[in-house]
Amino acid sequence: MVAAMSNSASNSAAVAASSWVTTFLERLPAPAGELEAVQWRGREALSRQPLPTRRQEDWRFTDLAPLTALTPALAPAGEQGSWPEPAAGAVRLWLDAPGDPLAGQSLPAGISLLGADEVQQALGHTLAACNCEQHWPVELNQASAPRVLALRVSAVVAPILELVSQAAGDGVMRPVRVLLLLEEKASLEVLQVQLGSGSSLTSLVIEAHLGRESTLRHGLLALGESPACFLGHLAVEQEPRSLLESVWASHGWALSRFEPRVVQVDGEATTSLKALQLADGQQLADTHSRVEFRGPEGQLDQLHKAIADDRGRSVFNGAVKVPRAAQRTNASQLSRNLLLSNQARIDTKPELEIVADDVRCAHGATVSRLQTDELFYLQSRGLSAAVAAGLLKRGFCEEVLRALPAAAAAWRPLQRLLGEA
Amino acid sequence: MIRPDADTLLEIVDLQARVEDKPILKGVNLTIKAGEIHAVMGRNGSGKSTLSKVLAGHPAYTVTGGSVLYRGANLLDLEPEQRARLGLFLGFQYPVEIPGVSNLEFLRVSTNARRGEKGEEELDTFAFEDLVRERLQVVQMDPAFLERSVNEGFSGGEKKRNEILQMALLDPLVAILDETDSGLDIDALRIVAGGVNHLASPDNATLLITHYQRLLDVITPDYVHVMAGGRILRTGGKELALELEDRGYDWVDQELAVLEVA
Amino acid sequence: MSSSTSVGDLVSQPYKYGFVTDIETDKIDKGLSEDVVRLISSKKDEPQFLLDFRLRAYKQWLRMEEPDWATLGHPAIDYQEMIYYAAPRQQEKKASLDEVDPKLLETFEKLGIPLSEQKRLSNVAVDAVFDSVSIATTYREKLAEHGVIFCSISEAVKDHPDLIERYLGTVVPSNDNFFAALNSAVFSDGSFVFIPKGVACPMELSTYFRINSGDTGQFERTLIVAEEGASVSYLEGCTAPMFDTNQLHAAVVELVTLDDASIKYSTVQNWYAGDENGVGGIYNFVTKRGHCRGDRSHISWTQVETGSAITWKYPSCVLQGADSVGEFYSVALTNNLQQADTGTKMVHVGPRTRSTIVSKGISAGRSSNSYRGLVQIGPKATGARNYSQCDSMLIGDQAAANTYPYIRSQQPEASVEHEASTCRISADQLFYLQSRGIGFEEAVSMMVSGFCRDVFNQLPMEFAAEADKLLALKLEGSVG
Repeated sequence: MVAAMSNSASNSAAVAASSWVTTFLERLPAPAGELEAVQWRGREALSRQPLPTRRQEDWRFTDLAPLTALTPALAPAGEQGSWPEPAAGAVRLWLDAPGDPLAGQSLPAGISLLGADEVQQALGHTLAACNCEQHWPVELNQASAPRVLALRVSAVVAPILELVSQAAGDGVMRPVRVLLLLEEKASLEVLQVQLGSGSSLTSLVIEAHLGRESTLRHGLLALGESPACFLGHLAVEQEPRSLLESVWASHGWALSRFEPRVVQVDGEATTSLKALQLADGQQLADTHSRVEFRGPEGQLDQLHKAIADDRGRSVFNGAVKVPRAAQRTNASQLSRNLLLSNQARIDTKPELEIVADDVRCAHGATVSRLQTDELFYLQSRGLSAAVAAGLLKRGFCEEVLRALPAAAAAWRPLQRLLGEA
Repeated sequence: MIRPDADTLLEIVDLQARVEDKPILKGVNLTIKAGEIHAVMGRNGSGKSTLSKVLAGHPAYTVTGGSVLYRGANLLDLEPEQRARLGLFLGFQYPVEIPGVSNLEFLRVSTNARRGEKGEEELDTFAFEDLVRERLQVVQMDPAFLERSVNEGFSGGEKKRNEILQMALLDPLVAILDETDSGLDIDALRIVAGGVNHLASPDNATLLITHYQRLLDVITPDYVHVMAGGRILRTGGKELALELEDRGYDWVDQELAVLEVA
Repeated sequence: MSSSTSVGDLVSQPYKYGFVTDIETDKIDKGLSEDVVRLISSKKDEPQFLLDFRLRAYKQWLRMEEPDWATLGHPAIDYQEMIYYAAPRQQEKKASLDEVDPKLLETFEKLGIPLSEQKRLSNVAVDAVFDSVSIATTYREKLAEHGVIFCSISEAVKDHPDLIERYLGTVVPSNDNFFAALNSAVFSDGSFVFIPKGVACPMELSTYFRINSGDTGQFERTLIVAEEGASVSYLEGCTAPMFDTNQLHAAVVELVTLDDASIKYSTVQNWYAGDENGVGGIYNFVTKRGHCRGDRSHISWTQVETGSAITWKYPSCVLQGADSVGEFYSVALTNNLQQADTGTKMVHVGPRTRSTIVSKGISAGRSSNSYRGLVQIGPKATGARNYSQCDSMLIGDQAAANTYPYIRSQQPEASVEHEASTCRISADQLFYLQSRGIGFEEAVSMMVSGFCRDVFNQLPMEFAAEADKLLALKLEGSVG
């Protein structure tokens, strides 16, 4: 049980929270553009619900102090960093480009832009289906995002779509919103790269609707530099026989929180979630995932890996809901954590809720340092302890990184994650 | 061994059955007498496995017509466990794993259930261990398997040996062996077949359900029945199996087509 | 399923212990106030320190809110509509059992707990608690020869006030949680066990709790202390009559082990669970915690939870002594509309502490069965190890099985491993057993006890068979 905070302390915390939100809202430009209505909605919601507090079960392990230390203001356009050339076979879109990110770009065959009316209709649909349209980080994004990249995918798309966004510089707020509609039998591979530095805040909301027999491979590489913060939200609706492969890797943010929410609307779909989060320095890396099966014969394969070093803290909360309609669901979830320092901390909390008898649901969690016998084996072959530990850490990461879209290699994720860049 | 004066153990008359809404057995006739070894052959989906499940009382199958007399009594009225206690044994094609339930305990409870029915006294743990160790010889099984959970983590061959061990303990009057040869290497097949031959006597009967001749090379049947489309199409001696081996099942399909048109 | 019985039918047997004993009772008027707390204390003729303890707890309780994080559904409990003290009217506790009201002895006989000299369970000493008070404790003299104290906590307050003052409330502080605070304010009786240094308790100790009055809450308090090198095995059993109202049971159990001591605490809980429509039954909100204070000490909780309308309990271990060991073995079965939210907390404080958690949940009917656990590895717990295994068996498609295992680690030189799985009794498994001559009910019972075997193995011999039977009874009528 959480010890109740004293009244005066919680009051002053509430004041601080509401003043942070007030300041944030004041610094936003007046609602305008294609998302004007959404912005009004988000701002109204934020003015009613200040920051989440740790007394809310969903935020119990997430200290928002790094976020409230920022005073973010919307940056109209970004600056391109010294990024690697896009990999062969990848088409890059720079999401913060001044004006239209699609200017001068031709979309790969099978992808088209949604019209304004279609955006109006589709935007928020998946968030509602996933029950997170009123979720705080979502409202934060709705309040501030000036535009949305809304794509329809109607065929098997060959090139990898690379979406890059960067929040660089102090006081920068970078809201990114993406909407993907995959039609029946369509297929798309996306690599999303989110970079953050300085006292910036990145807010990402992705909605994806997967039609029957469609496939979405989504890779998210979120690389930050403290004190930058990252709040990401991925909402996916899957129709039967669709496949979602989501892979994310994050490192470096003072605070990062990623929230994949997947609903298999009629079951029979396949969901694969793989994650790697590294928290060192004073970082807090948090993943709150939720997968819900609303029909029979769904599959889930989830692997969440985390490394906490120095004074880093890693949080994982993984909910899996298998209601009565979801007979013959086959779900597995594994949370594997490396705790490498005695000032670091790991919190991991799987949550399985099952109301169906003919299901296979397994989950597991481990927290330990590097395995002594593995270290010993390598040392007995002549490797120094440090080299052996490095190799094992690398192996631990690679299992997830290998699953990222091939275009990710150009960003050298392993080197960046392990600080060898 | 065929003896005209032997007791009739099992008499199947015009048996029809379905699973869910799908009719599978469409009028099976078969009579089995003590001392006989029967083989039912046929392609996948011919209904031969269904026949074995229906005889053992599997709840997924519904009998829609016909009758089965077991030693003169209506078999179809009985719960699966009563059939087993009365001496009807089904060796499963895919024996299920039952985690947590000790194999030894399972064997003892089932053996005692059968003994009780025969009016024999129940065996205590010690007497049963003696019996089971003796019967293990029949299938050359490692006693270590007794300490494990029922079939859990057993290889395909080990599961089949465990089935024949159960047969050796339950001393059935009619043993139905469903695809007992599937998934066995040649040595395991010889051991399992050796066990079946060892247990066959003038008082009991065996019904082998199989795809291939190779089981019948080691267990010689008195009768061979060819099943297709939920019926027994032809009955003959062991040479019928060899004919199937030679000519394949195509001619069966043709005969069936003629029959279904008629 | 063509069989005449379904596994579903098999889980619902009538409750055997639902009778009420007609006996004159001394009750305090319903409602809770400082006066009631003082009255309970004065009825029990308590020393000042205990009255102070109660009053402090009462004041803390007034400021606390009923916890809601377990999302258990029940109508609000009116704490002013409850009676906080009920005792069968008899003079003083009897020196000899022969003087105890025969009706009470008869009650316990009916429950299968014979207290009279001739029929006693051999090698098990029993403390029988009826409503709020202990009415008899067997084998006291024999235990005293070994220096073992086994008596009701009220007697211990009188006869051993120094021990009570030293240990009471030191494992579960009065402000630990809402129900613990309530218990600390109004607890009426319970058992006290003290095993002195170096003594292995020569027999099993057991307390049997019986709620009889319909409108009375039961708030017992148990304290077990094992000094250096001492060991004891203790078993608790509980039943209650069938009423169509809900009664509150809010107990506190505290265990303390010093260096090299060990306590094995087993529970077979069979409070009335309410009927198949969820009417009536006990609300079982219990705080149980053991404190491994000494090095190399050992606390083991084994529970078989089959009763109560609502169970809210997390028998826990604070592993403070170096190399101390905590264990939690649990079977929780819910049927009909029962709700169970149970699990454990293993708090690793000291170096090389080890813990094992094995939890088996069986949910049938429309019930809800949750495992909620915490494994916490503190910064000083170098070399600590935990292994947890949580398995759920689902019977029918309307029962819920939830698993919330929470792990927090702050020590890299420690390892925590958690595994969980779900299973059910499949029609094919049942058919396989049946086709070997094993009857339907026996087949179900074999599979359920196979599922629970790792836990039953931990129960004292005398009770393992009882637990097996109890589960089979409870499951009647629900597999299908």
